Amino acid sequence: MSSSLAPECSEVKERYDQCFIKWYSEKYLRGEAKTDDCKKLFDIYKECLSKAMKAKGIDTMLAEARKNSKDLDMDIGQSR
Amino acid sequence: MKVFESNCTFNYSWEDVSLANWRKYCAWNTKSTHVIAVDTLSRSVDPETGILITERLITCKQAAPRWLKAIFGTEESYVREISYVDPVAKTVTMKSMNLTLNNLLNVQETVQYVPDPECPAKRTLFKQDAKITAYGAFTRLRNAIEDFSVDRFHQNAIKGREGFEAVLQMSQKAFKELREGTIQEATMQTA
Repeated sequence: MSSSLAPECSEVKERYDQCFIKWYSEKYLRGEAKTDDCKKLFDIYKECLSKAMKAKGIDTMLAEARKNSKDLDMDIGQSR
Repeated sequence: MKVFESNCTFNYSWEDVSLANWRKYCAWNTKSTHVIAVDTLSRSVDPETGILITERLITCKQAAPRWLKAIFGTEESYVREISYVDPVAKTVTMKSMNLTLNNLLNVQETVQYVPDPECPAKRTLFKQDAKITAYGAFTRLRNAIEDFSVDRFHQNAIKGREGFEAVLQMSQKAFKELREGTIQEATMQTA
């Protein structure tokens, strides 16, 4: 899988990505995704990533973008 | 504003393409070297529709000509992407927008993967479009930036397609080996 923007998070990201790919191919695409099997791994990865994003100032950039694109995101979400 | 559009067909099922799409920028893709990192920010399944919504942050690094570097002053840039996978309708829709330098340049890209209606089990259509708008007081400069960006988009799209073909090929090989390995293991256990 691809690297993380924070090298210190690459290992936990890899573990999460592997879990997600397995869940996606074996459960989600077959319509059997009842639970989020990878939540624990995602939380560990997210904690690591959040620190790195804060240190690089990406968190504020992202918050701004999320605020501005709220309508657009919802449009796509409800397109079906 | 300038618009960039591109279409192509992949000779793989929608399921295979949608799975490999998560690995588009892994080590198997030796072409899209401008993407240096892909991070997942959030992910959820809509309980009503079953649509998988993923928010990712894409880190890019690409050399720019000197005149552009003088204006932009940075090489590393961030893109926010929201994707929607609809497993029932079989669509993957990805929308992305640049986070960096968006006061100078706005790039909005939409990518979609759908089964090819002529051969839905074996072929997938890829559609991509990007709306590129540069801001600033000088028309000539705005045009130059937009033209450069469209050109860059075009080059990256070609590399992206080649790189993704390699990922699809490797994914299928890996899954085949995995399946055969599992079968072999099962036979060994029963033997």
